[in-house]
Amino acid sequence: MNRRDFLRYLSMGAAAGLTLPLEQVLAAAAVPGNTGANGRVVVVGGGMAGAAVAKYLRLWGGTGVKVTLVEPNAIYYSNIFSNKVLTGDTTLAKLAYNYTALKKNYGIEVKTTSVTAIDPTSKQVKLADGGTLPYEHLVLAPGITFDALSVSGTIGNKAKIVHAWQAGPQTVSLQAQVKAMTNKDTFILTIPPKPYRCPPGPYERACVVADYLTRVKKGGKVIVLDANNGILAEPNNFGKAFTSIHKNITYVPNAILNSIDADTGTVNTAVGSFKGKVINAIPAQRAASIITQSGLGLANDTTGKWAGVDLLSYESTAVAKIHVIGDSHASGQPKAGHIANAEAKVCADAIVRAMRGESPNPNPRTNSACYTPITKTTASWLSVAFKYDPALKTMVPAGAGVVESATINKDNYEEMNKWFSNLMSDTFA
Amino acid sequence: MMKIPDMVAKVLLTAVVALPAVAFANPATLNHPGRTLAANCFQCHGTDGYGMESLAGESAAEIVEEMLEMKWDTANKDIMNVHAQAYTDEEVALIADYFSKQ
Ligand SMILES: Cc1cc2nc3c(=O)[nH]c(=O)nc-3n(C[C@H](O)[C@H](O)[C@H](O)COP(=O)(O)OP(=O)(O)OC[C@H]3O[C@@H](n4cnc5c(N)ncnc54)[C@H](O)[C@@H]3O)c2cc1C
Ligand code: HEC
Repeated sequence: MNRRDFLRYLSMGAAAGLTLPLEQVLAAAAVPGNTGANGRVVVVGGGMAGAAVAKYLRLWGGTGVKVTLVEPNAIYYSNIFSNKVLTGDTTLAKLAYNYTALKKNYGIEVKTTSVTAIDPTSKQVKLADGGTLPYEHLVLAPGITFDALSVSGTIGNKAKIVHAWQAGPQTVSLQAQVKAMTNKDTFILTIPPKPYRCPPGPYERACVVADYLTRVKKGGKVIVLDANNGILAEPNNFGKAFTSIHKNITYVPNAILNSIDADTGTVNTAVGSFKGKVINAIPAQRAASIITQSGLGLANDTTGKWAGVDLLSYESTAVAKIHVIGDSHASGQPKAGHIANAEAKVCADAIVRAMRGESPNPNPRTNSACYTPITKTTASWLSVAFKYDPALKTMVPAGAGVVESATINKDNYEEMNKWFSNLMSDTFA
Repeated sequence: MMKIPDMVAKVLLTAVVALPAVAFANPATLNHPGRTLAANCFQCHGTDGYGMESLAGESAAEIVEEMLEMKWDTANKDIMNVHAQAYTDEEVALIADYFSKQ
């Protein structure tokens, strides 16, 4: 019975009494029966990549695939849309997701703790609550960690220098600081060298904060100090936004960050010093500590910061049966939530196939989409679909390549809201 | 013990409440060759095409026609142009078949 038949059956049932056998009704649940794939998977991290891989392992693998998701937080706050919290357009509470649907609908076991160590020989992970979990396949989806910044000043002033690049308490702190600004104040945003999480994200933040200052505070400036040599994502749209839509934004390239004096609000960079009331410094990033500190050599890309993987299965190139998806792996794909969901599906499919003794799909596909608000009512977008290049063993843009929207408009803003809702349901529900 | 009709009613009730979001195990598309391709549409069209901008249950011919139209429009004004251009005609046919069977 497919979903349409099921719906039809529901309405029939209500009207004419229930005539179909019970088993058929129960079979119409989310998880298929045994598909020939059997085994235990532990997923580390319940963010965009981890939640999606857990769901799709069950949806595609069936009841023989036992999935345990380990995540220390009971609630996941979406990074996507978190820039809109800074301007009061949304709240953190509206960006909260939990694991109830994954448990209830897909029979995923959820452990609210973190993984502290991995033993690939006995194929077990250690948990912070003292327990251990055995696995046949381990999927690491732990996101990123931030490098330390060089900040001087009193403890109180230092605490105000936040990144808010992982939605949560720092987002709330930064929102309060933005709200307290006056029309004479300056917001300084520092952007780390690539690769970092969400290439267009910092430029989007500059736009929505600049828009808020103009709209609500009737003045105030934004200075963007970019360690990179130019706008990394959507150069046309953000170029236009910085010059003609938000005239209160000053964009400074090659501004590699040296240090911050939190007491005087001074940011020292390779191209000079800048002063501001609010300093939002986004530090350089690397894979989360369970990857970089594992002692297993998982962070084996050329920079030693990210996990090298076989892009057919996202299996680590260092350790067998450990897969790494999302922001913490190394590839030419952007570190972003929409594509983390796509990587999760490739990984889930490869694990299910491996459990059936099959090799991975030789033609994996992924795609990325970022809709970026430019003002309170308009948005742009950036999108690309990837395909696997067997000669290069990497994912390369397919068809049109990396495309940014030709215009910044209201239709994009409406599309953005639908996209977000579908993406989050496809990941968490 | 619960009577079978009561159990069914209970299952149905939970199912009805959960329906908008929950995916369904659909034997017609289990291991379908278009599944991993179509999965690249789920983020914007919902799991298995059930969501806003739904594709589930549209006829294969209709989806193929729309996809090819969007594929040959290379001005890239809409985000769909980018996605339509990423797949061969054979792949589009597989994707369309997948959604038509939901
Ligand atoms: C302001 C902003 C805007 C953005 N906008 C977009 C956008 O428009 N489109 C887009 O595609 N992306 C966007 N992104 C990027 C996107 O949010 C990230 O790329 C995405 O969240 C990465 O998913 P992930 O699963 O790798 O990491 P996360 O979502 O960060 O999840 C990692 C999870 O792992 C858990 N974890 C870490 N270590 C352990 C451990 N040892 N044990 C157990 N659990 C652990 C963490 O608690 C966390 O919940 C944006 C990001 C920001 C900051
Ligand atoms: C980044 C988001 C995104 C992705 C990914 C995406 N679509 Fe779309 N799609 C849209 C939007 C938005 C519309 C409606 C506006 C338009 O036509 O651009 C749409 C419209 C369509 C339409 C025409 C309208 C309809 O409902 O019949 C079809 C067919 C379609 N998409 C198929 C697909 C297929 C197949 C895939 C996967 C290969 C896909 N889409 C991937 C966003 C997306």
